[in-house]
Amino acid sequence: MKDVILRQVSKSYRGEQVLEKINLTIPSGKFFALLGPSGCGKTTILRLIGGFEQVDAGTIFIGDTNITDLPSNQRSVNTVFQNYALFPHLNVFENVAYSLRVRGVDEATIKTRVMQLLKTFGLERRVYASVTELSGGQQQRVALARAIINEPAVLLLDEPLAAMDYRLREKMLVELIELQDSLQTTFLYVTHDPFEALTVADQMAIMNADGEIEQVGTPKEIYEFPVSAFVAKFVGPANILRGKLVLVDETAQVIVPDLGMFPVDIVRQKEENFGWLINDRTVLLSIRPEKILITKRSLEGYAAKLEGIVHSIVYSGRSTEYIVRVGDSFTLRVFEQNEEHIAQEVIDYDDKVYLYWHQKNVVVLER
Amino acid sequence: MNLLKKNVLKKIGDEAMPFALGIPAFLWQILFFYIPLLLVFILSFPTFSWEYFTPFFASEYVSVIVRTVLIALSTAFFCLCIAYPIVYLIVFKGGRFKHMFFLFLLLPFLTTFLLHIYAWMFVLERGGVINVLLQSVGLISEPLHLLNSSFAVIFVMVYCYLPFMILPLYSSLEKFDKRFFEASYDLGATWWQTLWRVLIPLSFPGIRSGFFLVLVPAFGEFAIPELVGGDKKMFVGSIITHYTMGAQTASLGAAFTLLTAFILLIVVVAVYGITVKIFKQ
Amino acid sequence: MTERFPLFSRCLSVFWVVMVYAFLYIPIIIFFIFSFNNAPFPAPWVGFTLHWYRALVYETDIWVAVGNSLMVAMSAVLLSSCMSIFLVFYAVSRSSKIKGLAAYFYGNLIVPEIVFAVGFLGLLTMLKVPLGFITLVIAHTVLGLGYMVPILYSRYCELDYRLLEAAQDLGATQLQAFFTVTHPLLKPSLLGAALLVFIISFDDFVLAYFCSGTTFQTLPLYILSMLRVGVSPIVNAFSTLLLVLSGILVIIYSSLTIRNRIF
Repeated sequence: MKDVILRQVSKSYRGEQVLEKINLTIPSGKFFALLGPSGCGKTTILRLIGGFEQVDAGTIFIGDTNITDLPSNQRSVNTVFQNYALFPHLNVFENVAYSLRVRGVDEATIKTRVMQLLKTFGLERRVYASVTELSGGQQQRVALARAIINEPAVLLLDEPLAAMDYRLREKMLVELIELQDSLQTTFLYVTHDPFEALTVADQMAIMNADGEIEQVGTPKEIYEFPVSAFVAKFVGPANILRGKLVLVDETAQVIVPDLGMFPVDIVRQKEENFGWLINDRTVLLSIRPEKILITKRSLEGYAAKLEGIVHSIVYSGRSTEYIVRVGDSFTLRVFEQNEEHIAQEVIDYDDKVYLYWHQKNVVVLER
Repeated sequence: MNLLKKNVLKKIGDEAMPFALGIPAFLWQILFFYIPLLLVFILSFPTFSWEYFTPFFASEYVSVIVRTVLIALSTAFFCLCIAYPIVYLIVFKGGRFKHMFFLFLLLPFLTTFLLHIYAWMFVLERGGVINVLLQSVGLISEPLHLLNSSFAVIFVMVYCYLPFMILPLYSSLEKFDKRFFEASYDLGATWWQTLWRVLIPLSFPGIRSGFFLVLVPAFGEFAIPELVGGDKKMFVGSIITHYTMGAQTASLGAAFTLLTAFILLIVVVAVYGITVKIFKQ
Repeated sequence: MTERFPLFSRCLSVFWVVMVYAFLYIPIIIFFIFSFNNAPFPAPWVGFTLHWYRALVYETDIWVAVGNSLMVAMSAVLLSSCMSIFLVFYAVSRSSKIKGLAAYFYGNLIVPEIVFAVGFLGLLTMLKVPLGFITLVIAHTVLGLGYMVPILYSRYCELDYRLLEAAQDLGATQLQAFFTVTHPLLKPSLLGAALLVFIISFDDFVLAYFCSGTTFQTLPLYILSMLRVGVSPIVNAFSTLLLVLSGILVIIYSSLTIRNRIF
């Protein structure tokens, strides 16, 4: 198994400590995303694995091989750079063939393998084109082809879709997923865009601005069960409320001043970590906008029933987002899919509405 | 009606003014550059015959021309060999002191480097520093004849023309995106492979500029060969000067100038063509 | 760098750097040392003296030559700068860019100076123009144009045309747009090119040899005449002085512009 394992890795730049004693395992053959805000150190991790930087402390292993001191040209790792770094003086064929040529592979084999790969990527009509004439999507495919022709153990992708418009990006994301599926190579995808990470990843890690890894898990785990408000807010819009935890026997409730008392589920938290589950402790509640029901009707049977006034409405075709003022000082975001051509219930500015959510859709957070 | 006239005049003025401003440069160029060049051509053919060219087909002149071409090419070549590594080191390994290193590299050339020729004469001559040193250490028994030779000429020319190679190389290598190094290593290449497959091809325009910026003036050089070459008539430039400054021989001077300029053109085109073939640029 | 032999490659690099700088500075060091030698150059060391520096002050020929060189250089720089800037202004005022504009001036650098000198001298003799300060300035200005126009024009072409559009959108006339937008952005290149032309003019001896006649002597010509006769240590002292001056200028310049790019 060729997992990529970083142990106690530290790195500082010009006196600033970017990474401190980082531990990360990237499981073999998976599409792994590393998500975080700009400057958090995710690119540094990528560069350390690629061999473009040396660690100050710690080790990097691929499977059983210690690659910590190996220079980048001896590692079985290839990179798709952020603006592709395609060699402008070489055409498409030569760019892709580069790594084979420097290894002294014979001409015939080069020709077969390169042409085959270019065909897979749909570039067979641009084989001898200059790379500067290609579109963004084509350049990216050339960069990918160039990197995977080596059949590396790990493929690093450094924010590869940053320069693309959103439609092309969606298309490329799907292509990347299919590619990884067919190659079964370990992909490490670094990005600051949660949508990209959630879409492509089998597993992901999320880093905060201090260079620490906050959470590792599947996209679903991270989105639905974040460990902190930072994670919750980073991967998608979230309503965060601060309150006091009240534990009575087996039940738990959170009291949010001026808003009310809300029953919560703490089964998962109990399994993870007892430390902060004490009575009277200040905690945070996270409710995702799509999990709140907004309606003018009065209903029963929900964990929360809040009255509010609609403050703003943003219609986006597939969905409508409402910002609702609740109580004196709270604003909640609510997200509703436009399921009907003509909505049966019309909600307008300054309307009085009710917001509801279920107990199981709320997450209690320590911080 | 008056307003319309005013507007039209203003418009013409607006368009004419920049044009008028641009004229001096063009005029200057034509009057003081293109016409003189034309004059060289005209002076060579005062009687519409080749008469002023024929004396120069004698073997002594041919050998001068050949020698000049070879020495100019060698100078350019050695300048390249010396300058490329040092500029590479400054640009890629210089760090924060890059600019300082670069400026101090060029500093000697800010100080009337003609004088430095004299210092080299002092160093290279029979009683000079090098010979004294080598003799005292015992490596040679008799002083070497370093001065008054082609070696001395090339040596001093390389010294004097180095900045013309350094400047374009520096500007070319400075623009080089260091990520190409990373991409090349990432794909498994060694440093040496990266140098020849990536760096040199991509910095080639700079190399070519530098090479010609040295070759062309070196070809026309006359002071250095005269001072350290020992033979007053060894270079094309010396001969041109001799004939042009002499009375009654202006046409000969012009003819020889034209002839050698033509030969230089051929050499330049040949070198350019060869480099294009090698590097497909 | 070469990963397999890091120590070796580092030693080689250091060696090369040291060798090249030594090569470049040997004449300077020699002049420096011997400018203090109490004997005519090139004799071996006798004793320390400042005699030559004192004599330098009284050596009028050299200072006249320096003055001449300075005047020629400054005039040439001034003329070529003005004409180049006006030319760029003209180019700016046109809505379409003339691609080959700078190429019209490339010849000044491509043609060997000696060929140009021969032709120019021919022109002057034909028109029976007396040789001297003015003719040399004209010749150096031609050189200057050859450097300044390509540099300025290419720098101008690299400018974002949208800046000018924005200026005009906000109401500036062509002239105003030029002076408030284009000119400040070109200033670093202008200064750099002007410096380059100054140095080239100051050091030039090919054109001086051909076009300045017998009475007008610039510094390179003075040195050339010295080299044929025999260099006195006064010239060593002068060279050292010049070096110190240039060194100071370089240090000031680099500390001022360490953040700005000129070219």
